[in-house]
Amino acid sequence: MKNIKVKYFVISVLSIFTIIFVWFICINVLQLKSETVFPGPLKVLNTFFDKLHVKAPDGGTILQHLWASIKVAIFGYALGALVGVPLGIAMAWNKWVDKFVRPLFDLIRPVPGLAWIPMFILLFGIGLTSKALVIFLGSLIACVVNSYTGIRQTQELHLWVGDVFGASNLQKLFRIAIPTALPMIFTGLRVALGTSWTALVAAELLASTQGLGYMIQQARAISRPDIIIVGMLAIGAVGAVFDAMLHVVETKVAKGMNIK
Amino acid sequence: MTKKKLISEQASSALAAIVSIGLFLLLWFWGTKATSLGLLIPGPIEVLKVLFDGIVGQVGKHSILAHAGYSLMRVLAGFSIGSLVGVTLGLFMGWYPIAYAIFNPLFRVIRPIPPIAWIPISIIWFGLGESAKIFLIFLASFSNTTLNSMAGADNVDPEVVNAAKMLGANERQIFTSIVLPASVPAIFAGLQVAISSSWATVLAAEMVRSSEGLGWMIVAGMNNNNMVQILSGITMIGIVGFILAIIMRRAEDVLCRWNKSGR
Repeated sequence: MKNIKVKYFVISVLSIFTIIFVWFICINVLQLKSETVFPGPLKVLNTFFDKLHVKAPDGGTILQHLWASIKVAIFGYALGALVGVPLGIAMAWNKWVDKFVRPLFDLIRPVPGLAWIPMFILLFGIGLTSKALVIFLGSLIACVVNSYTGIRQTQELHLWVGDVFGASNLQKLFRIAIPTALPMIFTGLRVALGTSWTALVAAELLASTQGLGYMIQQARAISRPDIIIVGMLAIGAVGAVFDAMLHVVETKVAKGMNIK
Repeated sequence: MTKKKLISEQASSALAAIVSIGLFLLLWFWGTKATSLGLLIPGPIEVLKVLFDGIVGQVGKHSILAHAGYSLMRVLAGFSIGSLVGVTLGLFMGWYPIAYAIFNPLFRVIRPIPPIAWIPISIIWFGLGESAKIFLIFLASFSNTTLNSMAGADNVDPEVVNAAKMLGANERQIFTSIVLPASVPAIFAGLQVAISSSWATVLAAEMVRSSEGLGWMIVAGMNNNNMVQILSGITMIGIVGFILAIIMRRAEDVLCRWNKSGR
């Protein structure tokens, strides 16, 4: 069994090296594409180390852009989660909240968060507010939908047990329904994180003065694909790190619930 | 629940829906008429009027329906290629460990990059035309479908597979008549995520560079300081998004009658 695992691991490592090698051969040796269109791996690596301390051509090092993006993303995301999770729980638990809020919620739900970008930019300018609002909407929807489904999955039998032991409505909610829903709530938080990050990049592409999305958009305007690829990899890496962090929290909080 | 109770329950739901949406519209109407908010945001009646005018007449070069048509065509092209490649690759990755070992490293690098972040590079690679947009939607639908069909093929009940082996099925038969059908619910879950992600991506792509489509419509509204156009565009985007979701759900109901994913 162990041997097989080692074998597949070796194949995986070989595969990634083959890809980089083929990339290198195609661009640097055969020169199938000019490096101003599709830069080779060495150039990308070079640009990455350059961007760590050089501010040209877009007015910031990669870390400055990174920080600018993360700040906005976390702000909007946290706001969306703080409103969305309780709202979803309330909608699932109380039928009157459900009846009155759900129609409004269904009205905004089919609109992708980033379709609001032009409106918010007109209303609030290109600063923090409009970006945070777009992210807020995106993460709100994901959090509400998943917490709602989570609470609704509570087994009636468990609630009856609560009734038998004389639990109050709030006790049933906090002791039975919310623990049951925790895995779904965490799924919602992770989905929301993904949408937030995407929405932020979109907002920065459209109108912004800093951030990773701004960096790659500027690099496109001056035809520097090496910077674009560095930026894309940075965007992907940050998304992956966020997701991994949430996963760690999930395994700590929702112990033994849906650890895969 | 008795029938009478059920009916009164439905009636109160409908009433609550009418009341809450009505209140929202009234608040919107009042806010734009009575306060200075009206200078910034048009009221609901104006938005509906512009939406209607746009359907009959034109916004920019085309009617709103034609804009929606352009966006949908792009989604359709990218989504069908992307989901075809994604489902195939995902099934192979989920079923054959060797395929997983080969493709997983690359997939792990590409998946966390949002499709929207590919916009600048795709413009450099493919220019401003249709192929750049189709490439983006391909990416948007590709990673979601791959991930879900991979999970589907990975979670096939081993007992069923062993039963088939015992009855003498060969590798190919196991793959086509057991793994494939068993993964269909997971594949549909992936397709649903993929279609909504594609819809968001086409809007972003059109907002960055385009001369038609709903994304162009709202961003042109932004550039001309035309809030009514933005809001009617958003309304249309919501309607199309809603219809797409319904179509996917209906397709799932029809094709997997035996196993509803419950979404």
